[in-house]
Amino acid sequence: MGLLFLASAAVALIGTVLLITQKNAVYALLGLLIAFGASAGVFLSLDAPFIAVSQILIYAGALAVMFLFVLMFTDTRTEEDTGLPAAVGARPDFDPKAFGNKKKKKKKVDEPSNLLAGIVLPKPMAVVVSLSMLVCISFAIIKLPVSYSNFGELPTVESAQVAAGESKPNYDTGLTYRVYEGNSFEEVPRHVKFGSTEAVSFTIFEGFPLAFEVVSLLIFAAVLGAVLLARRHLTGIPGTQDVVQELDKEQDHA
Amino acid sequence: MLDPRLILFFAAVLFSAGVYGVLSRRHLIMLLMSLELMLNAINIMLVTFSRYWAGRSAGLVGAHSGQFFTLMVMAVAAAEVGIGLAIIVAIYRRKHTADADAMTDLKN
Repeated sequence: MGLLFLASAAVALIGTVLLITQKNAVYALLGLLIAFGASAGVFLSLDAPFIAVSQILIYAGALAVMFLFVLMFTDTRTEEDTGLPAAVGARPDFDPKAFGNKKKKKKKVDEPSNLLAGIVLPKPMAVVVSLSMLVCISFAIIKLPVSYSNFGELPTVESAQVAAGESKPNYDTGLTYRVYEGNSFEEVPRHVKFGSTEAVSFTIFEGFPLAFEVVSLLIFAAVLGAVLLARRHLTGIPGTQDVVQELDKEQDHA
Repeated sequence: MLDPRLILFFAAVLFSAGVYGVLSRRHLIMLLMSLELMLNAINIMLVTFSRYWAGRSAGLVGAHSGQFFTLMVMAVAAAEVGIGLAIIVAIYRRKHTADADAMTDLKN
């Protein structure tokens, strides 16, 4: 448990450093992916296997691919890369090669796989603000009661259904399930382990069913909003309005 | 036995790194990525507290509520990234850049 946490935490910190230092957005995304995967290891070390698997599925799987797609759609150069004001860089016909920063381009061609070559220099004010935030949170952690020095043992319940060599379950759900034995059904109490899929689903549907339903509505609204915002704008269809085009027209008039 | 405060400190480091990323980067997608890192750090804290209360004889629902909140945060993060990336794509179509410093439409 301790060793798994230490190893995962070290890997996650490496990924985090990659994320916040790399100039190339794809390398930074790789760092984010490493940090997310290692966080799943941290969740495993905290006896939360279901959360760990959800983490890999949702964050490392779905979110990272979504980021990758949008990176493909957009230009990841910023003002620093092009050396020009953002207003000039915003022009669609802008070509950075015509403005004589060939030295930087050449460097990238020479060392395409060297992660050390593409490091963003640290911004002093951002370092100050984030470090002071870290100090504040650390102070709160230090001020925690003494009981926070260990996790304590998980509770156990006596269960007749545990096979030899298996660890005991931790909670009694108060529910029963029926087992056909001989000629009759027998009611057997449902025992679950901490952090298992069963225990988490019991928590969702017995403890917070309303929040679960509301979050499904939220995701539905988000899907609709994302489709509405990012779809290719149809023109000339009666009854439809192209918001982006209308805004562009207004800007042209002004 | 592992010290919960060590894990909380690790999560605090991840959170501060996310804050640094949000403050120092100028590309909108990098801002979103750093935001995701901050949410992830909070998830680690929530699961740590969940395990802590499981060792303090909290009930089944009580001990797992931290993990439930983590699932909710994941759902909200997924919705947020979906909307955020759609907004970035829309902005990019309009302004042909995703540099945060170019977003000056509300200036003056």
